[in-house]
Amino acid sequence: MLHNLPPNPDCALSLRKMSKFYGEFLALDRISLDIGHGEKIVVLGPSGSGKSTLIRTLNRIEPHDSGVLMIDGEIIDDKTSLPLLRGAVGMVFQNYNLFPHLTVLQNCMLAPRLVRKAHYDATDSLARHYLEQVGIAEQADKYPIQLSGGQQQRVAIARALCMAPDIILFDEPTAALDPEAIKGVIGIIDALSERRITTICVTHEMGFARHIADRVVFMDKGTILEVAPPESFFSNPQTERARHFLNQMIHHG
Amino acid sequence: MRRLSQILALIALCLTGEKAQAQERPSFIEGGVLRVCTNPTLPPMTFVNGADLSALDGFDIALARALGAYWQVPVEFETMDFTGLFPSLSAGRCGLVMSGVLKQTSRERLFDAVAYLETSPVIVAPEKIAPVNSFDALAGQSLAVESGTSYAARIEEINQELAARGKPPIALQQYPSEDQVVQQVLVGRVQNFLSQDVELFYREAQLGGKLHVIYSPHLPGYSEFALYLRRAGQDRALLASALDTLRQKGDIAALEKKWNVGSAARKALGVATQRPRFNTTTFFSALFSMAFLKGAGMTLAIALASHATAIVLSIPIALKLNAPRSLWHPFLRAYVAVFRGAPTLLQLLFIWNALPQFFPIFRESWFSPFLATWICLSINESAYQVEINRAALSAIDPGQLAGGQALGMSQAQIYRHVIFPQALRVALPPTINEFISLLKTTSLASVISLQELLFITQVQVARSFEFTEYYAAALVYYLAMVFAFLHLQKRIETRFVWASRDGAAREAGKSVRALPEAGGPRHAA
Repeated sequence: MLHNLPPNPDCALSLRKMSKFYGEFLALDRISLDIGHGEKIVVLGPSGSGKSTLIRTLNRIEPHDSGVLMIDGEIIDDKTSLPLLRGAVGMVFQNYNLFPHLTVLQNCMLAPRLVRKAHYDATDSLARHYLEQVGIAEQADKYPIQLSGGQQQRVAIARALCMAPDIILFDEPTAALDPEAIKGVIGIIDALSERRITTICVTHEMGFARHIADRVVFMDKGTILEVAPPESFFSNPQTERARHFLNQMIHHG
Repeated sequence: MRRLSQILALIALCLTGEKAQAQERPSFIEGGVLRVCTNPTLPPMTFVNGADLSALDGFDIALARALGAYWQVPVEFETMDFTGLFPSLSAGRCGLVMSGVLKQTSRERLFDAVAYLETSPVIVAPEKIAPVNSFDALAGQSLAVESGTSYAARIEEINQELAARGKPPIALQQYPSEDQVVQQVLVGRVQNFLSQDVELFYREAQLGGKLHVIYSPHLPGYSEFALYLRRAGQDRALLASALDTLRQKGDIAALEKKWNVGSAARKALGVATQRPRFNTTTFFSALFSMAFLKGAGMTLAIALASHATAIVLSIPIALKLNAPRSLWHPFLRAYVAVFRGAPTLLQLLFIWNALPQFFPIFRESWFSPFLATWICLSINESAYQVEINRAALSAIDPGQLAGGQALGMSQAQIYRHVIFPQALRVALPPTINEFISLLKTTSLASVISLQELLFITQVQVARSFEFTEYYAAALVYYLAMVFAFLHLQKRIETRFVWASRDGAAREAGKSVRALPEAGGPRHAA
């Protein structure tokens, strides 16, 4: 069991018995997990299983209460610099949370300018570079309200990339997208993985998970029940809870 | 300015040398200055003569200057609403009330009074009404009086006598200034008004023979004007002996003659002169006068200063109240509740008249009407602005905060660059709305003598009685200011292009057209 091993500094992420409470409610119950550099992880589980909470603890938007969180060999706790941590761990939200009053380009430039104090011209070319990489360079001067859901997500990804993170967290990246756009996201995440950027996606979309995941993490009631490659997880789940979940997904999802 | 006048008084003292031996000064002369409270809307006793507001004139003003010369001190006048005179006297804002106030026992219970001029009450009606010889003839009719004066109580007594004899009462209407009382009879809303003879003598020409005295009742307590002072030591005796000296020297008789008051002036209202219904010359000269321009400037200045301060005060309060409950909450809630709950006029009167009773420092001249109004309206307005800001901040998706946090931005950076720019769009229309309302609320400050637009208007009306013309000029100024701000609001709103697809598309179209000129490599990476 990982529980009793020391955290692994060679991993992108190493968790040991990490717990999180909301008041009396135990949202994460002693999570232990190692994730390698460039690995693509998909977190599955029913609603309220703690999967969104898990990724929110990884960049300390929700600080964990006990256990160990190690990122790139560094223990993350109260003393960790948040700008540094969040530079290393980017996040793409389900609703993208783009800044509506800024253009696409300005959305990408704001954090590097403020947090990294980067020079304007350098930030400008950095932002245009990543917008091109996610395929929407021509939208740079538009406002978010003018873009489709898929385009907005690409902006959100480019905005996260501008901080040059090692890890990007995706919260339900496919929730608001049509099948065409989902294909596009898969392409982008594969490209990130090739550049050794670790991605962790929380999703309900089985097809997407099967396509993209190096490993699937299945959670229920704040604990990890299974960690397995997608082929074995989807064909031969080890726990009754996972079997039940997959059955339901096939019938309703 | 005051120091200069003190020096001048001192020089005058040196020049006159031994001849003018210094009289013993009463204690209400503080800091070597005689401060006099007056409501300059009662000609010929005290009024503003001309367009220049600082040019006070009238019998009382001249008498005050004579007293100042007698004690060899400079005189300063504090102008205010009639209802503010006695609170200001007890607050120590002035040493004497000289404002054509009648000598009456009810007032003498609280203050000392020294009579200085004989007068008589008069009932005035339109010229076609025949004179009467008792109050019985007025039973069932309407009668206007100035509020804050004691006429109202006296008429109630007469009404009881009328009722005892089975007659209907006189229907009393009260108005805040003498000129408004006269206006009610002029426009035909009220049948008669009750005033003092001196004012009628003066108004003769302006009233154009439309009104005349129908009855001069003998009412004890309405036959003498008096100076009022706080009860202290020998002050009353010193003031009385000063007046006696001036009377013996013939100074007071000369003033009576000049201002057509006192025993010399007992005569009926006279000659008819026709006046146009709306004098366009008066209207335009008021519209383009320095006095109105300054008044409008004052209105604008106090509104802008107060609202700016209110916004600065309200942002931290709104942020605290929107945050999770803390120890601050009950205090901030109480702040908002109190200042939103109490009438603005009451708050103004409280700050101006009540505060100096507890903290004497607010009596001093640095605490000007402008400062008092600024403080009052800032606090008052901040309570409303807090609610606007809270609504605007609540309208911002919490995901915006999370989005900023996930990019490593600090709380301050997120508020400065993400939350506030978006909240501003939500808050702007109600804020400008609130500002327009505040612009008009500033007119309340006329009661504490701030020389804003309405105050200027009232003073001019009191002097000339051309009320339609002056009201119209004030209306033009208020409307012009409000329309300017509504226009500004529209201009600012079009800048929030990002809020709608159409607006954003228009803006994007512009930048595309601007592209060729911008030049340079678009894809540097």
